Amino acid sequence: MSAVAAKPTAGSAVDMTAMIVGIIILLIVIAATYFVLGYSLAFIALIGIIIGGILIGFGVHFVPVGGAPAAMGQAPGIATGVAMLAAGAGLAGLFGGAWAAQTTDNVLVIVITGAVGGGLMMAITCMFVTFIYVFGMGIPCASGKVAKDPITGDTQPEFKSQGTEGHGLPFVSYVGGVIGGLFGGAGGTLIYLMLLNLYKEELPGMMHALPGQVLPIAVSLAGMFAIGMFLVNAVLAAYNITGTIEGPHDPKFKRFPRAIVASAVASAVCGIVAIMIVAV
Amino acid sequence: MESIVFGIGITALAGALATVAGAAENVESDIGSQGDPNSQVQLAPQMGYIHRIFNKAVAGEPPAYGLWIALGAGLAWAFMAMQINPILAIVLGSGIAVFVQGVYATTAYLGRTASLAKFGQPVYLDILKSMTTVTMAHAFIAIFATVTLCHLINAALGHPFPLPLLGLVWGIALGAAGSATGNPFYGKERQYQNQKFGAGVPIAASGNIVRYAEAGERNSLDNGWFSAKLGGPASGVCFGLIVFLELWRTVLFEQVGAGWGAIIIGIIIILVFTVIDRYIEVWARKNYGPYSKPVEEASS
Repeated sequence: MSAVAAKPTAGSAVDMTAMIVGIIILLIVIAATYFVLGYSLAFIALIGIIIGGILIGFGVHFVPVGGAPAAMGQAPGIATGVAMLAAGAGLAGLFGGAWAAQTTDNVLVIVITGAVGGGLMMAITCMFVTFIYVFGMGIPCASGKVAKDPITGDTQPEFKSQGTEGHGLPFVSYVGGVIGGLFGGAGGTLIYLMLLNLYKEELPGMMHALPGQVLPIAVSLAGMFAIGMFLVNAVLAAYNITGTIEGPHDPKFKRFPRAIVASAVASAVCGIVAIMIVAV
Repeated sequence: MESIVFGIGITALAGALATVAGAAENVESDIGSQGDPNSQVQLAPQMGYIHRIFNKAVAGEPPAYGLWIALGAGLAWAFMAMQINPILAIVLGSGIAVFVQGVYATTAYLGRTASLAKFGQPVYLDILKSMTTVTMAHAFIAIFATVTLCHLINAALGHPFPLPLLGLVWGIALGAAGSATGNPFYGKERQYQNQKFGAGVPIAASGNIVRYAEAGERNSLDNGWFSAKLGGPASGVCFGLIVFLELWRTVLFEQVGAGWGAIIIGIIIILVFTVIDRYIEVWARKNYGPYSKPVEEASS
């Protein structure tokens, strides 16, 4: 197919065949785990990992990323890559969640602590982006995708400077960034917590050691797998976004169902590997 | 009580180290031209603008710093396991990690610049000799400060992650915060200093970066000097606040309400930053622009 014949909006179309194939792979992995391991801690861990992956993949779509054009004030958003910014926020959340997991067993408290850690990182970063644009470059915030900010109602087009698509972070993009950080932090922490519980249970028997002796290994393994799976899901979502996105008001945001299916399948496949090293 | 005071002291020290790390990271990446504005450094020769700016962007700042700091932290951890004094171990680990950064910077500059040969862009060996060591020096400060704060978090505050894993987590966060905050200042204000202040760079001007300084041709050391005025310190304060507030809410409030204390304080801090952000946005709308008459009908 030539470039002229290619569908110009192919990026936003949802391919139903691919979605169904993805869902079938997901169900096969879940069913195989259930038949081999039964309703065990490993099975619960797999479900938790899939939910965590979906939270990350969905959350990345909220993060306003402008890439290289944003660095020249040519497009709105934060001047860095989608996957990397989301990873920075999500891992900061994972840091907080892992710390909370040391002192409490309440899953809800641990996951929300991780979420708030990610949200906090994004809130501070987004505020400094606005600070640099306004006080360092003298540029007001203006969206290129909507005429009015959906949250504040502020009109946008007249604040766009000539020859640009907009610049800075309108308030809706700021809120999107914080929500993205919350989802990313929660997802990363949930994956870590599920794997940690599994490893703490299985490793002492496998290694013929006391629970206290295997704890550092369990923490390290769960942390490494959580970071790895975070990056897998963030990069998948970045491919779905293709370049830049302004936040939840951007038309590209509507592509998120594809990312949810893709993240679920990728998390299931990665998760089964992380589980198999101790459970099979 | 004593442990809380100790925890707050460590938190403050970690926040201060993070501030230094963030500032050094941003200045390093701007001297090396590693962030997103590097797209213009790469584009300029293709548009006919030959320049003497360093060019080492192969990976984004977050994965690059994730690598270097995880490497520094891993080596420091190994040295500590060999019973070497922690300060010496961190210096040695950071030093070796910086050599990896130097190799990366050298090969990146040679490779990227050589790829522009067909557009007439020369590889300047004097640039390679004088800039690489400066980026390495800034990278050492960033890596040393971040590995030290990771060591404090692990050894003094008792975070469960081992040192190399903390290095990876905070290295990626450092690169993300530094590139998000500092890139626009370098990209718009420095590379396009010839464009109007208070407006974005028109897309038609892409590639026409400023190539001449007060005397002779501009090089990346001039860009480092410029970034150190606002982009670097702002990145430093950004990363310093992230580390400080994350540790502060945990150290002081984690025991309150079975963990809910730290969550509530975190939410309050997020709301405070949201109010500050909105205030700055509204202030800018009142004081700058509008650039054109308001549009009556939405035309999205």
